[in-house]
Amino acid sequence: MHGLKTVFLSGTTIFLGFAASLVQAQTSITIATVNNDDMVRMQALSANFTDANPDIKLNWVTLDENVLRQRVTTAIATNSGRFDVVTIGTYEVPIWAERGWLVPLDDMPEEYDIDDILPSIRSGLSIMGVLHAAPFYGESSFTMYRTDLFDEAGLEMPAAPSWDFIKEAAAAITDKSNEVYGICLRGKPGWGENVAFLTAMANSYGARWFDENWQPQFDSDAWANTLNDYLMLLNNYGPPDAALNGYNENLALFQDGKCGIWIDATVAASSLTNASQSRVSDSVGFALAPDNGLGKRSNWLWAWALAISAGSENQDAARRFVAWATSGEFTEFIAAREGWANVPPGTRASLYTNDEYLDAAPFAEMTLASIQAADPNDPTVAKVPYTGIQFVAIPEFQSIGTAVGHRFAKSLEGSISSEEALANAQWVTSKVMERARFLKE
Amino acid sequence: MTDTIRDPNSNIADIDDEQLPVPEHRLHGPVHFLGLYGAEHVAATEFVIGAAFVAMGATIKDILIGLFIGNLLAALSFWLITAPIAVKTRLSLYTYIEQNLGELASRLYNGANVLIFVAISAAMITVSATAVRVLFEIPPQIYPYPTNIYFALIAGSASVIAVAVAYYGFNVVAEFATICTPWLMVMFTAGGMVLIPSLNEALTGYTTLASFSDFVSLAGTTVFTGINAEGRPGIGLWEVIGFAWAANTFAHFGLIDMALLRYAKKSVYGLCTVTGMMFGHYVAWISAALMGAATASIMKLSIAVVSPGDVAYYALGATGFVIVIIAGWTTANPNLYRAGLAAQAVFPEIPRQKVTLAVGAVVVVASCFPFIYRSILPILAYAGLVLVPIGGVVFAEQHIFPRLGYKSNWHRLKGVSNNKPALITWAVCLVFGFGLDSLDVIPFVYLFLPTWVVSIICYTVLAKPAGADKSYPEAEQREQEFDSKVKAYHARLATQESHAPVKDTSLLTTLIRAVWIVIGLLVPFVLAWRVLFNSPNLYDYYVNRELFYDLTIWCTLIYFVFAWWDLQRGKGLSSNQVTAEVVPAS
Repeated sequence: MHGLKTVFLSGTTIFLGFAASLVQAQTSITIATVNNDDMVRMQALSANFTDANPDIKLNWVTLDENVLRQRVTTAIATNSGRFDVVTIGTYEVPIWAERGWLVPLDDMPEEYDIDDILPSIRSGLSIMGVLHAAPFYGESSFTMYRTDLFDEAGLEMPAAPSWDFIKEAAAAITDKSNEVYGICLRGKPGWGENVAFLTAMANSYGARWFDENWQPQFDSDAWANTLNDYLMLLNNYGPPDAALNGYNENLALFQDGKCGIWIDATVAASSLTNASQSRVSDSVGFALAPDNGLGKRSNWLWAWALAISAGSENQDAARRFVAWATSGEFTEFIAAREGWANVPPGTRASLYTNDEYLDAAPFAEMTLASIQAADPNDPTVAKVPYTGIQFVAIPEFQSIGTAVGHRFAKSLEGSISSEEALANAQWVTSKVMERARFLKE
Repeated sequence: MTDTIRDPNSNIADIDDEQLPVPEHRLHGPVHFLGLYGAEHVAATEFVIGAAFVAMGATIKDILIGLFIGNLLAALSFWLITAPIAVKTRLSLYTYIEQNLGELASRLYNGANVLIFVAISAAMITVSATAVRVLFEIPPQIYPYPTNIYFALIAGSASVIAVAVAYYGFNVVAEFATICTPWLMVMFTAGGMVLIPSLNEALTGYTTLASFSDFVSLAGTTVFTGINAEGRPGIGLWEVIGFAWAANTFAHFGLIDMALLRYAKKSVYGLCTVTGMMFGHYVAWISAALMGAATASIMKLSIAVVSPGDVAYYALGATGFVIVIIAGWTTANPNLYRAGLAAQAVFPEIPRQKVTLAVGAVVVVASCFPFIYRSILPILAYAGLVLVPIGGVVFAEQHIFPRLGYKSNWHRLKGVSNNKPALITWAVCLVFGFGLDSLDVIPFVYLFLPTWVVSIICYTVLAKPAGADKSYPEAEQREQEFDSKVKAYHARLATQESHAPVKDTSLLTTLIRAVWIVIGLLVPFVLAWRVLFNSPNLYDYYVNRELFYDLTIWCTLIYFVFAWWDLQRGKGLSSNQVTAEVVPAS
């Protein structure tokens, strides 16, 4: 009996001592993340990090994109330290970094190989040349088209097409009686939907949201040309009810063989070339987004990135996690577990020299070229006071963009003219900016 | 001093009205109190308190239920605690203390009041300054201290002006405040309505709400999330109830509102406080919180740091500046005045100007620090804790002592200068209350309850050996004589003073009222309604909102011109009637 008691006490002592040492040594970090596939996958694989870093415990807060924005903004603006690591996009990074809410990532470990990050992505996540968020996933936009329809029409898509060629090709391959529409573009209203596309398109037409004095420019000829061409393309060669179509709707149309040309996010390419998802997987071609001969293409740039809150009390642990989650090693780890087709693309140059990835992703070279062609710090033909290609990196843009998007969608529906839509866009942008600048920090 | 005031040989007409019970002919009916409390509790503080509940991390369910229960408890406290004593004594608490608790208690009590009123005044001036800072392109003040010298200058200058106005023009501002209430109620409601679509769009992508459950869902996800500003689980139902109840502790359990309710014909009119509690402390707080959250979303800032000026500007456009400045000043003005009076009572030997200037100087400095206005809810709760023991002492004298056969006015009858049991009780209760707070046994918002109970027990126990259970036949005889003389004086006064309400049914007055009601109040409300219910997308929302902004500022101007005109006409008619009645009598 005595022996049993001794064994029990000794065991308890050892267990408590072990547990205490673990508790004492562990640092907990809280990660706020968006509930998209890539981020959910990262969370599922995070044991790889904690196994290698037993002194760090990860707490995940996974939220819908809009709720995440609101919660993270509140937490980070009050310097509360509630979230150590936050998932944010290229839209937020310049705004938040400027406010001092993010920890500069200028001392990442040497093995992180910061120079491997694609320059345009790095530039979109940097302020004054200093990285403030590490990219987990990056994308641009490009032209996706049906090679079989082009062959039938005797057309050849240039690697870098112009808008004139797109108009000509869309007209040539449209066959509405067989539900084949020459072109599909985003028509659904929203700052991340039709406005993202039209802003990027407008850049290639020499248009811009604001001049250097923050005066809205929707009354310019360049914007009129942009919107008129967009309306002409969709009205003449687009699918019915184009104003209802966003990214997902157009993806479904293309996969179903109903789109001849689709200019949209590079991330769509893997879904179009996947035979289990797409009826036209063996006849999809890729080219750069169109231009108008003015020196700017209509491709955009977006990245989801991990940033460290300035209020975090565990910045070292947070930095180690961010370095792991956005490293080349993690990409290889995902590839080993889930295949190369499932690795988050668009962030590191080394991925695009990897033969296995290039084999799994036939669109990879064009994706890389599109990302490289995007410069968020110089998005337009004329000079502008803002950064961002398909958005303007100012807090007011989300609401202005959505309001403007509604007028453009109305004009696509035929409820109002393009002149009226542009006049409305000019009015609403002026009003919101007037009020926002009035309360300028 | 006590003997002099209630000396039956003195000429009652020479005694300051404040020292005498309210005469019966000056008593008011329930409508007066419904309006009065509606006005008292819709102020600039509501902008701050609404946001404070968000920063403290309450959930929407706790807010909807907790604020209802807490404010109901507050209204019941006014009815069951404050009003019966006020109606029984017909005195203000200050007079009661002076006559029954002695000079030292009166001085200490007034000293505590100076601090509280200075804090409230400073907070309200800072709130006004947050609106003015926008006009001078000064950055938002997101830290507890001023980070911009010009903000400090603006807040300081606003304080200097407010002190001067309180000193020289108190009556004008007080009069102006009376016409603000209906407008403030409409604007607080309209502000929330105008910003709900924007908030909803930021979260769901839609500007419209289909049902009340949509509203609850929106408010629960974006405003009352259950997570506080530090990122931890926030306050629960009990705390919300406590905050709502404790926000006016000094007025109900602390009995400060005896000053108002002593004019009530019946103690049941204490329930009329429900207008202030359920509109100002329910609708306005929730509306202010929604406005704060929407502004934070627009500005990409946290609600914990957006200023009332920014919130009001986004909710109401240019009218927002007007509401913040007016609501701030009309709240600061009486509190500054009260602070000055209380300070004079503390230092009666120092000239009034010097005391007022000293109080003003403290307000000027305090108003530069944004943390005071951001901490207004805890300040109010702790203020209640400081003052509630005196409420307990008075409650014991008025309700417990008669049942035990003690004399309610034993101290005055005994003729000693200081009521030592009351002073000791207060000291014991402060140690008890703040000691309990430091032990963190119960939420600080509920500390007033055990402290109040302790004050009643302590005072009852201490008063007996001090002479509360004794008889003082001579002094009681004097008191009765004095009371008889006061009754006779009031009866005389009643024949001289007009007490019938003046009804103005002239066409001009009807037109004036129609203008300020329809154009000043109804039009902005309808415009806000359109923004909320007729904005199917963000563009239409901006169109409707701009129309609301552009017209409401003119409606506001028209409202104040016509409401002021109406007020002055009413006053003119009343004074004419008094003159007409008094002249033949004389």
